[in-house]
Amino acid sequence: MFQVIGGRSVQAARVLAPRSAVLVEAVRGRKSRTDPVAKSKVGRIKMPPPVDPVEMVVLKERYGEYQMIMRALRLEFKEEMLRKKYEEDTGSLAEERARQEAQEHRVLMDFNHLENQRMLKLRIVRVQMEKEEADRKKFEVILQREQEQQEIVKEKEKEILKLQEDAKNFITLENLDQRIEGALDNPKNYNFAIDKQGKVIKQTMLQ
Amino acid sequence: MPRYELALILKAMQRPGTSAALRRTVETLMERGAVVRDLENLGERLLPYKINKHNQNHLRGSYFLIDFYSAPNILTSLLDHLHRDVDVVRPTVLKKDDQVSSSNCCGS
Repeated sequence: MFQVIGGRSVQAARVLAPRSAVLVEAVRGRKSRTDPVAKSKVGRIKMPPPVDPVEMVVLKERYGEYQMIMRALRLEFKEEMLRKKYEEDTGSLAEERARQEAQEHRVLMDFNHLENQRMLKLRIVRVQMEKEEADRKKFEVILQREQEQQEIVKEKEKEILKLQEDAKNFITLENLDQRIEGALDNPKNYNFAIDKQGKVIKQTMLQ
Repeated sequence: MPRYELALILKAMQRPGTSAALRRTVETLMERGAVVRDLENLGERLLPYKINKHNQNHLRGSYFLIDFYSAPNILTSLLDHLHRDVDVVRPTVLKKDDQVSSSNCCGS
């Protein structure tokens, strides 16, 4: 029947009727509308609070006036707000402003367009230069490579010639005897001595 | 370029014996397809230590140097052959590196 209330309505209820420690409000809780009335409430007639007619009339009049005035004021203010808003949106000044803005926008767009064109030209030129540079470098690299190859071929050819020259002195079955005799006749000595001053002494004793 | 160098120590013999041994060695090399480039004699000298080979003690030996080009697969059989030769005291095959620039070298 009575429910504990909590939340935002608590503060208002506390101010209005802070009688009990816990704030309760009447709520159709335990009993439904078909349950019989309680024994203690059998003959209960709920009477509205008593009203003084004179006071009532006076109060009604005054309240009426007051509320009328308040409503009027509120509507006035509301109208003023609306008018201001309307003026801003669709007044003469608004048109001026819109026109100015459009013009400014056009000017800026033109400027942007010109800038883009300029950048485009510069970019084209730069890209062209870069491409040429890259081509030239590639070409150079290829040239270098080829030159190196040729160098290598020349080296190899030189080596071949050298070897061919040396081949004339190799030992064959015919030279064999002569070479053996020659070798036995000329013993070679690879020993040498050197001192701290760098003087080389090749004369050693062959045991 | 000279690929290998055979540092040969032969028994201290008379001239005909040495020349016969050398001829034998070079012919062995050529049989196995090597190209002999040069033959050098380092003289007959005292060995650094006593070497016992083929049931003989050697104190002196004649040193020879043979440069040759060859395939690497013949070396094992060649060394085998040389170890069996009675006149050879010690055969050694070494790889010969490319000539370093001998501009400021003091050797011969």
